[in-house]
Amino acid sequence: MNRKYANEEVDVVIVGAGAAGGVLAKELSESGMSVVVLDAGPMWDPQHDFASDELSMQRLGWEETRLVDGRDPLTMGHNNSGRGIGGGTTHFTGVFLRFHDADFRARTLDGVADDWPIGYDDLAPYYDKIEKEIAVSGPKHFPWGNFHGPYLYPERDPLSPNAYVFQKGCEALGIRHVVAPLAILSAPFEDRPPCINRGFCNQGCMPNAKFSTLIVHIPKAMRAGAEVLPNCMVTQVMTDKHGRASGVTFVHEGKEYVQKARLVILSAYVVETPRLLLNSANGRYPSGLANSSGWVGRGFMTHSSHDVYAKFAEEVRLYKGTPVLATTQDFYETMPDAGFVRGYTLHAHGARPLAFVKGIANSQTGLLWGEKLRQTALDYNFYGRVTMVGEVLPHPDNRITLADEKDDLGLPRAKVTFSFGENDRRLIDHAVVKMGQILEAAGGKVEFVVPDTAHLMGGCRMGANPDESVVNSYGQTHDIPNLFICDASIFVTSGAGNPTNTVMALAARTADYIRKQAAQLFSLSEKPIHV
Amino acid sequence: MSKTTHYPSYDVMSHAEHWDDHTQHIVTSRLIREKSYSFLTTVEAEILRAWCSKLVGDMRGEIIQYVLCHIDQTLSDGRGEGQRKPDVAPAPELIRKGLKAIDATCQSLHAKHFFELEDYMQQGLMKDISEGSAEPASIWASVPQQDLFKKLLNYTLEAYYSHPTVWSEIGYAGPAYPRGYIRARAGQWDAWEARLENES
Ligand SMILES: Cc1cc2nc3c(=O)[nH]c(=O)nc-3n(C[C@H](O)[C@H](O)[C@H](O)COP(=O)(O)OP(=O)(O)OC[C@H]3O[C@@H](n4cnc5c(N)ncnc54)[C@H](O)[C@@H]3O)c2cc1C
Ligand code: SF4
Repeated sequence: MNRKYANEEVDVVIVGAGAAGGVLAKELSESGMSVVVLDAGPMWDPQHDFASDELSMQRLGWEETRLVDGRDPLTMGHNNSGRGIGGGTTHFTGVFLRFHDADFRARTLDGVADDWPIGYDDLAPYYDKIEKEIAVSGPKHFPWGNFHGPYLYPERDPLSPNAYVFQKGCEALGIRHVVAPLAILSAPFEDRPPCINRGFCNQGCMPNAKFSTLIVHIPKAMRAGAEVLPNCMVTQVMTDKHGRASGVTFVHEGKEYVQKARLVILSAYVVETPRLLLNSANGRYPSGLANSSGWVGRGFMTHSSHDVYAKFAEEVRLYKGTPVLATTQDFYETMPDAGFVRGYTLHAHGARPLAFVKGIANSQTGLLWGEKLRQTALDYNFYGRVTMVGEVLPHPDNRITLADEKDDLGLPRAKVTFSFGENDRRLIDHAVVKMGQILEAAGGKVEFVVPDTAHLMGGCRMGANPDESVVNSYGQTHDIPNLFICDASIFVTSGAGNPTNTVMALAARTADYIRKQAAQLFSLSEKPIHV
Repeated sequence: MSKTTHYPSYDVMSHAEHWDDHTQHIVTSRLIREKSYSFLTTVEAEILRAWCSKLVGDMRGEIIQYVLCHIDQTLSDGRGEGQRKPDVAPAPELIRKGLKAIDATCQSLHAKHFFELEDYMQQGLMKDISEGSAEPASIWASVPQQDLFKKLLNYTLEAYYSHPTVWSEIGYAGPAYPRGYIRARAGQWDAWEARLENES
């Protein structure tokens, strides 16, 4: 392997080049630090590796087997984890929302979950920065939450046929709706073209109209001197005799390497970050690194993401256009008398044939196959769809642990145990009724309700109290001050909207902190620590 | 009578020249299938041929052959499954044991292979397995029936609904790079999309 920093101790090693890792790599290398970024997957070339094809693009996801358990075992793989430079951002749908003030204060407002140690205002400047950096397109006025626009780039136009259906249904019911804020260009920006409504955002955008850290942050980091190494699976975080992080070991093409660093940042997402911490257990840290609280892997969350399909007399054609173009957050925050707390976002959501067929074959009413499935699928073009993004409350028993079974590298596989709680279920029921009402108000007839989940968060939550959390609000682990975690795993609650804007804003904030504290952080290395 | 398609004269492949090379290559290769398998034995492949065509309600040889090749490749190339329940065997083992159990069941009840049974018998056994109620217990004790059924359904659907002939039938206009879709309002179609044809 051709290396720049092979035998050197660098300032920072970042594990994972996804949404968070990409931002950190850019910010820290541009501030003059020596940075190595390691990602388990390949360096994708959008024009040659991506295709307009659902089946072959499943490999953008993390296909490596995880064991899933609990009352509601999760679908993993392409459904939530990215793999390769760009991570989840290569195949995310591009919906780019901010959390609301209420998302940071669940305990105070509703007596559930926990408050974050930061509030909306702490993240606001970083949301601004990230949105500007990637030219988010969106409405002039966004009616909900704390940020009301205008977005940097105008809202998308035209929308998709399914988005117009959604708008019609919302209008009829008096539900407010907007064109979704998207990390997708509505006009040229830097050297990238606007979206051509090809509809494959979550199979990798070929024209580069959709932002990903693969095409935006990583190239900038490399220009600033960062060494970015694809196909390198990190297997362990090393610690020195003082108990501090000293670097990582990784495997490339079957061979093991070491990268020493003064600061280690894990950005490997909600399953792999806890897995790595647990797998790095040693004599000094027998229950895994940064785990003196016992919270590593605990309290991870997903979003409930049921889909409702309705059949229309006229064609809708779900394959056309960016999948999500119309949105409402009218049900985002706790509604009096609803019988549950917190809320959800609703999106008009397109679907290409595989997603459609796999969905309806596994709907709430049971398995659909054979002649009946074929007949239904022949009417594919007559279906419209709405999807929810529902808040799921954290529970300590929903957790990532190590399984007995090993993977090809000899590492214990991750075990992902998940069950919905009572509040989560009531929230889903409410949303499913609303989605049906919208589709029927637009002239459709509800035929399938498909249970699903999306987006993982938590598992290494942040907090002020080291006994009940893994990191502080900057992602710095309470136990090992030169070990940081910065990805969706540090979320305290899941909020009721798509999370990646928040993942990236947190990463920008962490980068700022590391930059300001650099002298102090780097001088730590010789002092012992006590856990 | 059951319908076959709303778009009888539509052929998505007639637009293939407008797709990027990479996509063209991937989709076109689905039309040419070779019949050598790296994982499946002949008997397994024949059970699956009957099974998969029943799953999708379609007997057309070339399409089902692509489905079999997709399953064979998925089981042999060592990729992960995304997720698996702790009490379920890895896919290659699950499917091998499952097909063996299907064959044993058919042999013990009718002294025939699955693919030699009458339609209604095949259908009946599939339904039982999909509900987890196939007997005898001695054969099925170590095979989680519903997991087996769902795994095969998933593999079959992802291949079947990636076949361009099926795309044409359901009126999916397919890959759209580099040209993209522009006409998005109700009743608008881009030039290469399928148009509803009168069904009388
Ligand atoms: C189909 C789909 C659609 C989505 N749509 C949206 C959307 O519209 N809006 C939204 O806000 N969010 C969306 N998301 C969620 C979004 O993808 C995630 O929130 C985001 O990518 C999380 O960022 P991250 O930095 O935490 O992890 P990731 O972006 O997943 O990055 C983690 C990286 O770490 C690497 N890695 C893991 N383990 C190791 C290891 N041991 N060694 C080296 N590298 C490792 C992985 O290869 C990966 O590249 C979607 C997700 C999916 C799956
Ligand atoms: S719809 Fe737009 S953003 Fe999505 S893949 Fe196509 S061009 Fe890219």
